[in-house]
Order: sequence, then structure tokens, then C-alpha cells
Amino acid sequence: MSDERAPGLLAGNSLNLRLARRSLGLIALCLMVLPFADLAITTHDPWAELGRMLTGLLHPDILATESLPHAIALTIGFALWGTLLGMLLGFPLALLFHRSRLVRAGCAFVRAIHELFWALLLLQVFGLSALTAIAALTIPYAGIFAKVYAEILELTPRAPVDALPEGVGRLSRFVYAELPMVWARLSSYTRYRFECAMRSSVLLGFVGLPTLGFHLESAFREGRYAEAGALLWVFYLMIASLALWGHRRLLPWIALGSLFLLGPWPDIDGALLWRFVSVDLWPKPLLEGNWSGLWQWFGEIPDLLPAIGNTLLLGLMGTAGSLLVALLLWPLASRHFGNRPTRMAGKGVLILMRSTPELMLAFIFLLVLGPSMLPAWLALSLHNGALIAFLVARHADAIVPGSHALPASACYAYELLPRLYGGLLALLFYRAETIIRETALLGMLGIATLGFHIDSSFAYLMFDQAFFLLLVTAGLNIAVDALARRYRPRETADTASERDHPAGEATC
Amino acid sequence: MRWLLACLLILVSTAASAETFRFTAIPDADQSRLQERFDKVAAYLEKQLDVDVEYVPVKSYSAAVSAFRNDQVQLAWFGGLTGVQARRLVPDSRAIAQGKEDAEFRTYFIANTHAGIKPQGDDLPKNVQGKTFTFGAKTSTSGRLMPEYFIRKQFGAPPKSLFSRVGFSGDHSRTIALVESGAYDLGAVNFKVWEDAVAEDRVDTDKVDVIWKTPTYPDYQWTIRGDIDARYGDGFTDKVRQALLDMDDPELLESFPRQDFIPADNDDYQPIEDIGEKLGLLR
Repeated sequence: MSDERAPGLLAGNSLNLRLARRSLGLIALCLMVLPFADLAITTHDPWAELGRMLTGLLHPDILATESLPHAIALTIGFALWGTLLGMLLGFPLALLFHRSRLVRAGCAFVRAIHELFWALLLLQVFGLSALTAIAALTIPYAGIFAKVYAEILELTPRAPVDALPEGVGRLSRFVYAELPMVWARLSSYTRYRFECAMRSSVLLGFVGLPTLGFHLESAFREGRYAEAGALLWVFYLMIASLALWGHRRLLPWIALGSLFLLGPWPDIDGALLWRFVSVDLWPKPLLEGNWSGLWQWFGEIPDLLPAIGNTLLLGLMGTAGSLLVALLLWPLASRHFGNRPTRMAGKGVLILMRSTPELMLAFIFLLVLGPSMLPAWLALSLHNGALIAFLVARHADAIVPGSHALPASACYAYELLPRLYGGLLALLFYRAETIIRETALLGMLGIATLGFHIDSSFAYLMFDQAFFLLLVTAGLNIAVDALARRYRPRETADTASERDHPAGEATC
Repeated sequence: MRWLLACLLILVSTAASAETFRFTAIPDADQSRLQERFDKVAAYLEKQLDVDVEYVPVKSYSAAVSAFRNDQVQLAWFGGLTGVQARRLVPDSRAIAQGKEDAEFRTYFIANTHAGIKPQGDDLPKNVQGKTFTFGAKTSTSGRLMPEYFIRKQFGAPPKSLFSRVGFSGDHSRTIALVESGAYDLGAVNFKVWEDAVAEDRVDTDKVDVIWKTPTYPDYQWTIRGDIDARYGDGFTDKVRQALLDMDDPELLESFPRQDFIPADNDDYQPIEDIGEKLGLLR
């Protein structure tokens, strides 16, 4: 695309040149660290297993799973209540968001820990119960809602407020002149977050809560691919039909109905809860005030620096990979390219790729390529790239091309991409935080990121270690988010389309 | 008055017997139709114990331990190491029975034929050095603890420095699949799971085969909470133990899978506890 030797080619201060420098910088950085990544392909004979997998997907066995309706109902119930409670907590926080540093920091912290890790933590005190599942969604979602709602509220048009007579109370001003202006955007974001919650709810099954993911993970892990295929199709159908059953008037009834299924609620053992929060989570030397012991405790944490390195490495590679995948794939779903059938197919592929939990994708690649960082990299790039491509294609559809005579490649390169690129990069930088959160998660598949060690610490019941590593992970995520925010393009060539599609949509 | 008292007694006794007795089992291999299979075990125990019995499915070894700790289950079928973990967390809990096979359990080291490793006498073949290797679950006794112990004993080095890559497959079935596909050169697997897989023709022994059988050690056991007699009536623990020992329906035993259950106690697992501490998996 560019020749670095030619002086001045990338110099200059126009918007797109700045964007190009940023992207090339990202890719160059990724290439520089690539030699440190473990990308070996070690499998000799993956084809038999892949064949079985494909056969399973094509011949799904819907009856193989026990209590499938129950698992579906719980998946929806957890997602619905998690979103609902997250919204109820997040909204008041959003009103304080720009006024209180404490609220901002608190929200950043709860956001920075993945739902699955919240679930692992809560499992220890609330056991395998709906309480664990719903709280694991509610807590991070409250932080996310607070941030995104605050961003949306910030964009409230001022005109109606200015038109109000003097002396109108703060509450009335908010309810009559501000809220109605942003209501549509708030509810559209909430709806989007519910779709995210469905995906998260499935993921919760991977740590043992009885959602679809519970059966999906077992079936996949044990090679019962006909059952796994059926469960995947059920999940895709649930997401695809969301518009049908996720109706505003229907949802309250579903929420109420699911209450009957969510029990039995656990008896909370106060003594155990207190012991967990006040003793188990903290290093013993710290509680005893033994500082030299604390140093020794710190030394027992396995491979902390390599784990942080791997997490950052995978995060960077995942971000760069997503950029390339998004650039390649967005035309698949855009009205400017191909014909109706190809667009339908392209859209389908993108939706499948973004709906499949990345843990699942990584697992499939793990079987094909063997254990290294490669499966995780591919999974992160494809999942996130497809998600961004889908949103970019929607932005693109709003653009009316100036000249119809251009061939497709020229239309892509000269007509559309320059106007879309800022938005694409903004989405990518928004996404960076999520990508780094997910790298920790992929550790559960055995890639030695922080998540791998968190998973181990929970398995060895060393909760103090797990908690410390969670804090490190949260710190890392917050730092990456701050960095991404610094480099995120603010002004784009086509700001109008950007305003219609808040980039908050790239946050799950 | 006497009538009233009797009514009260009935009420109290039904309230007491209304507490459901729950159990779980660690998910170590085949989890298909788990609910169906273990519901039969629950039905058997219900008949023997005269209380409501329910099976609680769990996903991971640590989830089984935390369910036991949180009193969500009162009885659990644990592995050697998970049992020790659980008994350390719940005071007075005790091992009451083990499978006949568990008194003399083994780990098999299996290898992909591509790796060119042949069995050699009583030890793990020397040329496993530099190969890739996978354990099972991180806290599996036969898939992690004991193989790591034997590796360190023979080579005087941790697995990480012996092999070029060390992984954790998550469970025994997965270990077999990953070694069969060549994703790893070799792996450590529960001998029962391997033998059942071979017997049922679920594994291609031209592609993967056993290269070493470890010495024996104690493994799986039933562990029960210490407060059971106070909650379910005196002698309830003994009743549970007897019900387990009396279980002779092959269809029920197949779920574990064991031939028979025999008595066991906490001391049987001292070697596991010592090794766990030595390897830093317990503290």
C-alpha cells in the first residue's frame, strides 16, 4: 500500500494520512513482536477429527441433549435479568459518571474483569446458582451501562433545554427535555447489550452454570459433535430470532416467567461469605502484617511477567488481526458489492462468526492446529474482525457513491474506504479493550496468558493468588483502554454516520 | 394436648426429613446423559436412605469442591486430590468408600505412534525428553498429580523443563483425542478411562498406544460432610456408607465406572496429601 522509502509519502497532516500512520504503526508493532509469539503448528492428523466435527454440524442431533428447553430458558433468564439489573444499577451511575472520579474508577474496574471471572469468583460463595449467574452479568454490565449511557447522555442536543423557561427544576428538565431526546439511543443500546448478554450467558455454562454452554462445552470437549452441532444451531437461531421474541411487550413476561425456573436460590452462609471476603481473598502474610513473608508469597506466583507479556502480545496481535479481517470482510455484507445472494451469504457468515463464542472458535482451531498461540490469534481476529466488518458494512450502506462507473476495486479503495476508515479504526480501538479481556479468557484453553494462571489458581483453591491475578488483569485492561482512547481517532471523514451508530456497539 | 403434641411431632419430623440429600461426582470423562445415569443412582440412594436424594451436575473439578464446601452437596465422588482439597476445607468431613479399583489405581502414559516412543521395561522411556506432553485436568490425581510425581522422581526435573511443551487437556477423554490427533506427542491418562475406550473401540490403537504404566496409588473416593448425622439423624453417615457398599447393580456402577465399592477412610489418602503438598498443589 505504501513505500516507506519514498520520503514524504506518509508525511503531512491530513486526517487519512494520520489514520494510515496509526494503522501501519499498529501492524509494524505487531510484526516486530511476532517472533516472540509461539505460533507452531503441531497436529499431524487433524482431518479425522475435523471430518467428524463437520458431519456433526451438518447432522445435528437435537434430541441428544438432556433438558434442552430448560437450558434454553435459563440462558434467556440469566441474560434478561443480568441486563435488567445491570441497567437499573448502571443508569444512576451514568448520571454521576462525569462528576465523580470514584464512580468512573469503580466502573472501569468492574468492567475490566470478564463475566466468566466474576462467575468463578462468585461461584465460591453462591455456588452453582442463578444468583452467581445473574450477579456475574449484572456487575460488569452496570459498569458498561454507566459508561455508555453517560456517553450517550453527553450528546443530548441542548436546544430543548435552552428553550425551557428559567427556574425549571433539575428533575423536570431531565425528564422532559433531555431524556426524550436520547431515549431511542439508550433503548437501542440496551437491546444490543441484551444480545451480548445472551452470548455471555452461554459462556457462563463453560464454568458450570446450567445454560446452553454447559452442554455445548461438554459435547465439544468429548467429541459428541452431532449434539454440539445441534446446540450451536439452537444458539444461532436464538440470536437470529431475537427480533421476534425479544419484543418490548413480551420481555417483561419472559422475565417474570423465568423467575420460576431460576431457583433454587442458595442459602447464603454468612460466615462462609465473610471468611471468603476477609480471609480467603488476601495473602496470609498480608493479613498477618508479615512483610518479608509477603515478598515470598509474591515470589510463589508462577510466571507473572511472561503471563503479562503473553496477554499483551496476544492482545496486540488480535487487534492487528481484527483490522486486517475487517478490511477484507466488510464488502461481503455491503450493498455496494456483489449481488443479493452473495450479500445474504456474506451477512450470514459475518453473523455466524461474530455470534460464535470466541472460546469455541479457539477450541476448534486448537484441534486443527495444535496447542500454541495461533488458534487463539485466529479466533480473536476472526470474531472481532467480523464484528467490526458488520458494523462498517452498515456505515457503508449509508454512503451514496458519487460515480457509478468505477470498478469494484476502485470503488472500495478510492470511494468508500477513505470515508469509512476513521470509523473502522475508531471501532477497532474501542474493541481493543474487549480483545485484551478476551485474551485472558482464552487462557482457560491453555495458552499461558493471565487467564491460564487465574484458572489454575481457582483449581488449586488458592483464592488469594486468583484475586491478585484478577487485579493485575483489571489493571492491564484499564491501561490498555486508556492507551486505546488516546489513539482513537476522534474526528472522522464521515461523522454523520458515526453519530447514528454509537461505537458503544463494539463493546461486547 | 397429646394429640396436639403428636401433630407437632409429625410436622417437625416431616420438616426435618424434607431436607434433600444432594450429591455430585467430578466430571472426569464421558459426560453424555450424565443426568439420566446419575438420577438412577439418586433413585437407588433414595430407596436405601429414606430421604429425598438429588444429583447435582458440575462442570469442573473445582466446581465439585466448591459445591461441597458451600453445602450444596453433602456427598461427593471425588478424585484423590480433589477429595483431599475438599476435606481440608470442610472440617470433620471424611472419606467413606472407594471403588475396588481405586485402592490400586494407575496412570497410563500414552503416545502418538508418530513420536516413535517404544515401551521400555519398568520406567518411562528416556526419549520422551523434548517431546510435547499433555496432562488431563489441572487437579486430576491420575491425569496430573501422580504423573507429575513419577516424572519428577525419574528425571529429577519438573515436566516443564523435560518436555518442549506441557498442556492441560481438561479431562481424560480429551487427552486421548489430543494425543491421537498428534496435537501432543504424549499424554497421561486415567487407566480406567483408557481401558474402557479401548474396549469400546473409541480409540485407534494404531495411532496411539500405552508406553508406560505407573506404579499403583489410591484414587477416587466418596467423601461425606461431617455434620450429616446431626442433620439427617444419628447413624446416617453409616447408612450412606452401607448403601454405597451394597450397590451391586452393574448399571449403576457403570456410571463411575467401578466393579464394586469397598470401605475407605481419610488415612488411605495421606500419600496423596503428602505429594500434593510437595508439588505445591496444596498448601
